[in-house]
Amino acid sequence: MKTKIILCVALCIFAVAFRSADGERFEAPAHWQKPVYDFRKNPLTSNTIALGRALFYDPILSRNNTISCASCHSQYSAFTHGDHALSHGIDDRIGTRNAPALMNLAWQRSFMRDGAINHLDMQALAPISNPAEMDENITHVVAKLQATKTYPKLFYKAFGDSVISGAHTLKAIAQFMLTLVSSNAKYDSVMRKQAVFSQQERKGYLLFQKHCSACHTEPLFTNHAFMNNGLPVDTTLRDMGRFSVTMNADDSLKFSVPTLRNIEFSYPYMHDGRFKRLSDVLHHYTAGVVQSSTLAKELKKPIVLTSNEKVDIIAFLLTLTDRTFLFSPAFSFPQNMIEEAAKD
Amino acid sequence: MTPIKTLLVIFSPLFFLLVACRGASARPRPLATSSSSGIIRLSIIPTFGSKNILIADSSFQTGDSHNVQIDVLKFYVSHIQFLKNGTVVLEEQKSFHLIDAAIKASFDIVIPNKHAISFDAVRFNLGIDSTTSVSGAMGGDLDPTKGMYWTWQSGYVNFKCEGKSNLCKARNNEFQFHLGGYRQPYYCLQTLTLPVHNPNEITLQFNAETFLSHSDVGTHHHVMSPNAEAVRLSAIVANSFSMVKSSTAK
Ligand code: HEC
Ligand code: HEC
Repeated sequence: MKTKIILCVALCIFAVAFRSADGERFEAPAHWQKPVYDFRKNPLTSNTIALGRALFYDPILSRNNTISCASCHSQYSAFTHGDHALSHGIDDRIGTRNAPALMNLAWQRSFMRDGAINHLDMQALAPISNPAEMDENITHVVAKLQATKTYPKLFYKAFGDSVISGAHTLKAIAQFMLTLVSSNAKYDSVMRKQAVFSQQERKGYLLFQKHCSACHTEPLFTNHAFMNNGLPVDTTLRDMGRFSVTMNADDSLKFSVPTLRNIEFSYPYMHDGRFKRLSDVLHHYTAGVVQSSTLAKELKKPIVLTSNEKVDIIAFLLTLTDRTFLFSPAFSFPQNMIEEAAKD
Repeated sequence: MTPIKTLLVIFSPLFFLLVACRGASARPRPLATSSSSGIIRLSIIPTFGSKNILIADSSFQTGDSHNVQIDVLKFYVSHIQFLKNGTVVLEEQKSFHLIDAAIKASFDIVIPNKHAISFDAVRFNLGIDSTTSVSGAMGGDLDPTKGMYWTWQSGYVNFKCEGKSNLCKARNNEFQFHLGGYRQPYYCLQTLTLPVHNPNEITLQFNAETFLSHSDVGTHHHVMSPNAEAVRLSAIVANSFSMVKSSTAK
């Protein structure tokens, strides 16, 4: 009897050790809330992350093999479509929205500016099948991947199965995106008491907490809600935001509150990329907010800021730039991996 | 023995055991056992009136004036349960089945019933429940390559039916129904409970003729997203299922 118990305990210890040796753990920064992504359903492993990274950078996901995820989400612009108000995809077709920055996605409950996508795993399906983006379908993508020399091997390494499925393709891409964690800006060092704000940044921080944090809530700089921040409707796009998902009039003109991390690099701003500079954004919040029935209550009364105060807020926003994230070799084009895979 | 040696002696066989177990659980377990009493056979046959639908050859005439051609007919049957006097006595694990009128093998579902539990009714969902719909990527019949996932807004299409009808006032007389929706107020999932007369041979039919006539395909021919119309038509789909008493439909 005793030996049986010992055996069981030993087995358990061994099983756990085995797991962590082969699985990569997702490290949430200290003092952040728990991620909402359910890692038990898609446990991170280094091989799967590597596969996801290869897929993210591979135009094979598009109809004519010209557009990759990275075409519209490039690392140096915080995984946005750098400098493009509306992103363009295959055959230079123009979409209707600005590509959002990709980071800290493990904390996000829904995706897209209107929350149309309910799970990070399923996100990649949208651009793959959008006729203005990659204009492909997942069934054909899987067939194309299966026909390559390298991908069946990479899928085998990642999932123990060289027969490629849609689910495995999506889970791998999701794993790579989950690793895009940005938590090493100057702001974070200040919070960890490893650095101090300049006087101007500090003033900006206090103003930010007063006027902006209700929606752009620390430490992720979003409250993950859908809100109307008073932008006038662009009559050429007529984008009603969240309304198009719920068909509920109360959701008209509400968009997901974006993070402000790496905001220095993720221009242009807003769902349609209408503002090029942060000063344009502050001008909007102080002088451009349009009253309407769904306007957020925080913005019903105009925000009053002097021009110095605006500059202070911008100085603070620049402390959200995380160079280790923007230039991390772990997130860039996987040159080595592709060469290696081609070899064996 | 030194403690290290003891550990080694315990662990090395354990290691093999562990690896062996892993391998075993990765292999799909066979659904049916060799003894036919340990299983339940459930067949779901797509029909048009009294005729079976097989997509390769699916032109039908009804009355004197309604010509119908069905090009796509696919739907999810999930969460299958068996009841006795209204109480669930058996349920299938990981119960998701895509019935596709183009794939005859998809009509037959085999469910283990090791203890030969008796029952008098079967219950199942038509479509995919909302919890599953927000749980990320899944394989098997739920794999997005099956063409039953809404890529631009998430969620499964519960029921797909496409074809032509001469009554249909749309372009080329085409109709196209993609019914689904996992969020209120447009939650389209339907739950059906049907009495079972012969537990050895449960055959259900989905009658496309009933669906098309009750849904009024002449004026309602395109539903492609979750909305009130999708909810209304989903109920009609549910009412187009019936138990086949003798298994003549086969
Ligand atoms: C043609 C440009 C384009 C391509 C290619 C593209 N995206 Fe996007 N991406 C966008 C746009 C635009 C949005 C916002 C769309 C919306 O809100 O409706 C977006 C949104 C997203 C989001 C949601 C982010 C958030 O915060 O809600 C994720 C995640 C994402 N894309 C990942 C990917 C992946 C993975 C791929 C490759 C499979 C990809 N994208 C390919 C343009 C693109
Ligand atoms: C009521 C909630 C709310 C408040 C308060 C608020 N914002 Fe926003 N903010 C939003 C929403 C919603 C968006 C996205 C709108 C869109 O996509 O069209 C946004 C977008 C932005 C963007 C563009 C981000 C991007 O990636 O495109 C910046 C920059 C910004 N806000 C800064 C601020 C600053 C600075 C303040 C304080 C002066 C502030 N916001 C106050 C809700 C708010």
